[in-house]
Amino acid sequence: MNTPNITRRHFFHDCAVGTGKIALASLLAESAYGASRSPNMAAPTHFQPKAKAVIHMFMAGAPSQLEMFDHKPMLTKYEGKPLPPSIIGGQRYAFIRPDAAVLGPRFKFAKHGQCGAELSEVLPHLATIVDDIAIVKSCRTTQFNHAPAQIFMNTGFSQPGRPSMGSWITYGLGAETRDLPSFVVMSTGSGISGGAACWSSGFLPSVYSGTRFRNTGDPILNVSTPQGIDSGTQKDTIDLINAMNQRRLKLDGDGETATRIANYEMAYRLQTSAPELMDLTKEDEATLKMYGCNPKEPSFARACLLARRMVERGVRFINIYNEGWDAHSNVEGNVKSNCAKTDQASAALVKDLKQRGLLDSTLVVWGGEFGRTPMVEASVALGRSMGRDHHPQAFTMWLAGGGIKGGVTLGATDEMGFNIIEDEVHVADLHATILHCLGIDHDRLTFRAAGLDFRLVGVEPCHVVKEILA
Amino acid sequence: MKPAFSFSIFLLLLTTPGGLTVRAAAAPDFNRDVRPVLAQYCFKCHGMDEHGRKGKLRLDQEEAAHGKGKSGEIAIVPGKPDESEVIKRIFSTDEDDMMPPPSTKTTMPDAAKEVIKAWIASGAKYQQHWAYVPPKQVAVPGSGALEAPSAVENRRSSVVHPIDALVRERLEKEGLKPSPEADRYTLVRRVYVDLIGLPPTAAEADAFVKASDAYDKSDPAYEKLVDTLLSSKQYGERWARRWLDLARYADTNGFEKDRPRNIWPYRDWVVKALNADMPFDQFTIKQLAGDMLPHPTPDDLIATGFHRNTMLNEEGGIDPNEYRFYAMVDRVAVTGTTWFGLTLNCVQCHTHKYDPIDHSEFYKLMALLNNADEPAYYIDTPDIIDQRAKKAALVAKLEADLPTKFPGGKEAMEKKFDEWLGSESPKASHWQVIKPATMKSSMPHLEQQVDGYILGSGDITKSDTYDFTFDRSIKGVRALKLEVASHPSLPNDGPGLTYYEGPLGGFFLSELHVLKNGERVKIADADETNSEEEDRISDAAAGAKPKAAAAKAGKAAAKAKARKQSNASATQDGEMSSGWQVLGGAGQHHAAVFVFEKPIDIDSTFALKMQFERHFACPLGNFRLSVTTDDHATAMRCPPEIEALLAKPAGQLTGNDRAQMQREFLMAAPEMKMHADQIIANRRDPRGQATLVMRERPANNPRPTHRYHRGEYLSPKEEVSPAVPAFLPSLPGNAPANRLTFAKWLVSPENPLTARVTVNRQWQAFFGRGLVKSLEDFGYQSQPPSHPELLDWLAVEFMKQGWSMKKLHRLIVTSATYKQSSRITPELAQRDPENVLLARGSRFRLDAEIIRDSALKAAGVLSLKMGGPGVYPPQPASVTSEGTYGKVDWKVSEGEDRYRRSLYTFTKRTAPFAMATTFDAPTGESCLARRDVSNSPLQALTLLNDQMFMEAAQQMAKKVIAESQSDADRLQNIFRRCATRPAAADELAMLKTFLQKQRDKKLEGEALWTAVCRAALNLDETVTHP
Repeated sequence: MNTPNITRRHFFHDCAVGTGKIALASLLAESAYGASRSPNMAAPTHFQPKAKAVIHMFMAGAPSQLEMFDHKPMLTKYEGKPLPPSIIGGQRYAFIRPDAAVLGPRFKFAKHGQCGAELSEVLPHLATIVDDIAIVKSCRTTQFNHAPAQIFMNTGFSQPGRPSMGSWITYGLGAETRDLPSFVVMSTGSGISGGAACWSSGFLPSVYSGTRFRNTGDPILNVSTPQGIDSGTQKDTIDLINAMNQRRLKLDGDGETATRIANYEMAYRLQTSAPELMDLTKEDEATLKMYGCNPKEPSFARACLLARRMVERGVRFINIYNEGWDAHSNVEGNVKSNCAKTDQASAALVKDLKQRGLLDSTLVVWGGEFGRTPMVEASVALGRSMGRDHHPQAFTMWLAGGGIKGGVTLGATDEMGFNIIEDEVHVADLHATILHCLGIDHDRLTFRAAGLDFRLVGVEPCHVVKEILA
Repeated sequence: MKPAFSFSIFLLLLTTPGGLTVRAAAAPDFNRDVRPVLAQYCFKCHGMDEHGRKGKLRLDQEEAAHGKGKSGEIAIVPGKPDESEVIKRIFSTDEDDMMPPPSTKTTMPDAAKEVIKAWIASGAKYQQHWAYVPPKQVAVPGSGALEAPSAVENRRSSVVHPIDALVRERLEKEGLKPSPEADRYTLVRRVYVDLIGLPPTAAEADAFVKASDAYDKSDPAYEKLVDTLLSSKQYGERWARRWLDLARYADTNGFEKDRPRNIWPYRDWVVKALNADMPFDQFTIKQLAGDMLPHPTPDDLIATGFHRNTMLNEEGGIDPNEYRFYAMVDRVAVTGTTWFGLTLNCVQCHTHKYDPIDHSEFYKLMALLNNADEPAYYIDTPDIIDQRAKKAALVAKLEADLPTKFPGGKEAMEKKFDEWLGSESPKASHWQVIKPATMKSSMPHLEQQVDGYILGSGDITKSDTYDFTFDRSIKGVRALKLEVASHPSLPNDGPGLTYYEGPLGGFFLSELHVLKNGERVKIADADETNSEEEDRISDAAAGAKPKAAAAKAGKAAAKAKARKQSNASATQDGEMSSGWQVLGGAGQHHAAVFVFEKPIDIDSTFALKMQFERHFACPLGNFRLSVTTDDHATAMRCPPEIEALLAKPAGQLTGNDRAQMQREFLMAAPEMKMHADQIIANRRDPRGQATLVMRERPANNPRPTHRYHRGEYLSPKEEVSPAVPAFLPSLPGNAPANRLTFAKWLVSPENPLTARVTVNRQWQAFFGRGLVKSLEDFGYQSQPPSHPELLDWLAVEFMKQGWSMKKLHRLIVTSATYKQSSRITPELAQRDPENVLLARGSRFRLDAEIIRDSALKAAGVLSLKMGGPGVYPPQPASVTSEGTYGKVDWKVSEGEDRYRRSLYTFTKRTAPFAMATTFDAPTGESCLARRDVSNSPLQALTLLNDQMFMEAAQQMAKKVIAESQSDADRLQNIFRRCATRPAAADELAMLKTFLQKQRDKKLEGEALWTAVCRAALNLDETVTHP
């Protein structure tokens, strides 16, 4: 693997938390030995970026597009009847049999905004910002189980071991802040199926891994000084460590020692900057109300507000997971309760970024790992009814902000909502588009590991979704 | 700079974006200079891969490259660059002609173009790739009687160590001198952490330094120390960790559920094997094919856990064979990384773009590994065998004593027995076993057993079907009985084949079709022996089900409904999600009885169909079919042989029959429950510790392996036969092409890769950098070795020394090269920052485990207890409870388990031990040949604030206060516990100032000294290989 060598790292030893401050140009130089990237590229990004930060609201468990975005009245008409086998093809399902009957949408749909985007009644807040977002109804993935699909959506590969999008992006763009990690992961629900592989740096240097912000205890592990050590002693301790390490550095001349000294200083700053970030007392009442955030309780709304604060402070990539969309039974209740948790805050985040002038430079992405079946799920053995199974063929995501055109709805599915009939956007296309907004050419962001040049988008051809670009 | 140096870093220079020009004084070396350029810029379209090939040109073979391409021009004309099309194309600026074409977004640097030009000018000779030629041992220059170079401060001047001879030869060419030997404290610390993964205590270090007093030309104290460390039990633990990185060892299954698994006996096997210095060839063979050795020992079986460390996806609704396929892909890739130093992952989907392996060769390799079942093995230890004998004796005695225990004595018993016969006999039917004439299965392999049972094995799916026909002729059959029973070959002993997600060893019979002339026979009544167990079954089903959004009340209602539906009659309702099931476990015997509406005749028009369908695979594994012509069949709980006796007319019963029935009566009688329970409890076979192993399939059920188009599980193509890649020596012709032959082939002397890859990995462990930098890749794209002759010399020596790892390690650590000071002089920093040339010792951050273990040892609390299940040292609860789907309650271990070596920390794949992750330890989700060595603020936070390190500081403070009196002594004590060497006066002064400052803040006693210990644990030296 191409670990940055010691002197290079020493040279760039103004590295930031969790991410070396090494911009694309220097990385090119760094991995030039045998790298397939063009070495004559000098710009820090491949072209002019629109966004410099990404907030990915990951709706883990897979929301039902048929209850929220993709209006299919035909399903009501044919409710109780199976789909013709010609539509289903060879698709495998997690729980249902392919001949299960279809289930009509559980909610009413209406058009909103100047663009007339269609949304269901469970998304009243999103309805107020449709002119700022691009809705893609034709997303497609290859995976039909949660863990592999979540890992795929994050890393472009269905098994653990590859770098996640956040890692690629922080590797490519470097850090904007020295006081906070560049790639942050928040979880606000019952648990992420893909686990730590979803924010792993894979074969990239491990400093590019996502840093978890936690709901209980220290937001970042060990960010508070242990009991019995007061802040003065902490300061003295770090000063002592660094003084002794300086002495060592003079004797051994090891650049790693210099980096370590810098890291202790950063660790000290982090002990202040993390609590400052978490402290919502300076947020005004109107803001809290807009998000629906109780500052004392961990919630999706609080995570959204924190994400805005992180963007303000230079964090590059933020993952907010809301788990619990896996509606194998009672899809109606599931969608209702999850929308109650997320709709207001997701919309508020876009509005808040906009009112602070941050939306243009922040790319917001919302969506799950796959969609849900037009067919109903019911099972005697599992006591399930009126649910929907996993559906990789078609699902909906929305994007907003840096580089994205608002008021766009892209793609369409057939009248049963089963297959995409227009403008398919594969996960790799989505990745390419996200990189594009950040000024990165998906073909040229590569890393040599084990004799191969890897890319986030994999080896198959993919394209930037130009239709939704501003 | 001497020309030799500039030449040897030819490529390094030409690819440095600084733009250093190449001195084209010498002809480029094909392997070192030319192939990397061709591999990087040309082979993707003009290499191995037929499908990707452009212009009908390949440049990876001399003959083809010297011929014409599609354009009709000759690609390479030896000696004549100006006539070579390749040169025209790579120097062209015309977008239509230039190579690589603009569409690849790749530009060949000018220096690389010059290399190709110079190479063609010099005759365009090809060479075989260095790694694919068997290593040869060169005569070591200067070893033997030669004097060491005078500038070298090596006191052992009479004989030069072969490693030193080869390293110095290169240094001399580069005009560099080796560094002086490291001081004794540095050396003792270095060799301790390298060989046993723990630094020495001050006393251990002092003993060595003292013993070294007299050392001059030879260094007996050091040699002795090395031998002591090599024979230490901690040696195996240190080196096991590195091997387990490759083996992707972890204590959970991975993916969503990420449930715990039991495979730590494999981890302990690795420690034991390394401590015993098991030769690496044996070490290899046992791990890949221990089960196939003649008369395998329990240890040979445990060793096959290596490839059982693949993940197991237990998410609801997965396709189990898809994930088995991924596990197989992983096994091939891991074998490639570990033994071949080759990246095989890409060949899963297409022919290798760079290395000479084609697409189907990947699947041929897979076929070598793909013929095994994957059971759990319960380890029979002498203790278990002894327990088993004792239990058997006890059961025999209890059974013999049973009649004497009946309340009221013999008479009362006889009376009750007769009553029992009177009530049970009328229920009994005469059953006769029917063996199918044909058995068809959707996937599992079915085999008739002598007792009429049918045993299933092999792979299973989420929807399996068994079809049976019969050729017996029995008239007037009124009922069918399906018996299911445990069997040791099944998961959790069966009776089902479920091995993931659902109840282990259970089955779920969705539908049973009794067919006559193809028509479904009507079942009037169905009954089962486990109806009272339904509660337990439904609970287990609920437990196995992923978190649904259903509210609690809904769940209870669902459970009640499921209970009603989960029984034998539910196999007749046409609803696949209801059926009959039995949970897995040893000693299970159950039956379902289906009474026909009308008697039917069994003949060739009679057939049975069983369907097994859940969101997990759930077919039956061991079952038997019988029928009766009696008109009152019911599912009796007594064993079938008792039912047969009960059905006999009283007059025909022998004394023995009665005795047998009496024993059953005594076991079933309510009065005897206490005694019967005791017997039942003791009948349970004591099982040893489970571990995951490989078991080669029987000859009558081989698993076919296919090529998969684009590596996609849903696109299997032609079947392939097992073989190794053609560019390597072939498998021996006189042995079957199987896993065992393959394992032996890997470690045969003809194999050019295994020994090289292995010694290179060892070298990296000591020097922080391999002789080949990419430990996992020796292919065309890899950087050539820095010291090719040394690599080959070591590889051959390793084999000559019987593949002894300890001898290899001894060889390395006794070289002057290893013993050099690691000080980076400004000259070395500038000339050779990565220490490629080895003009100094290597200084690098310690591994996660060594950092934690060092802190525990410094604190004096490290437990050296070896082996056993994973332990749970302190870490914040949120690590495993927040954001992970398969949550684990991290119940912190008590007592010494809190302070065990980090090798024994329970590893959860989706939420690994936080401290280990922060310091770059792998998660066990994929094979890792070399860890990253990062340096981050999060590491500083961990060492400063983590509870475990705080505890270490507190414990250390207690010890230091008790051991030393004066401030100076205490400070020195603390410093030495962490950094080994004594602190210098100015360091003591810094520590003292800190101490005084804290005293001024009213810190005192343990709190005061804890603060000092804590600082010392954070020093650069404390976490560094010096």
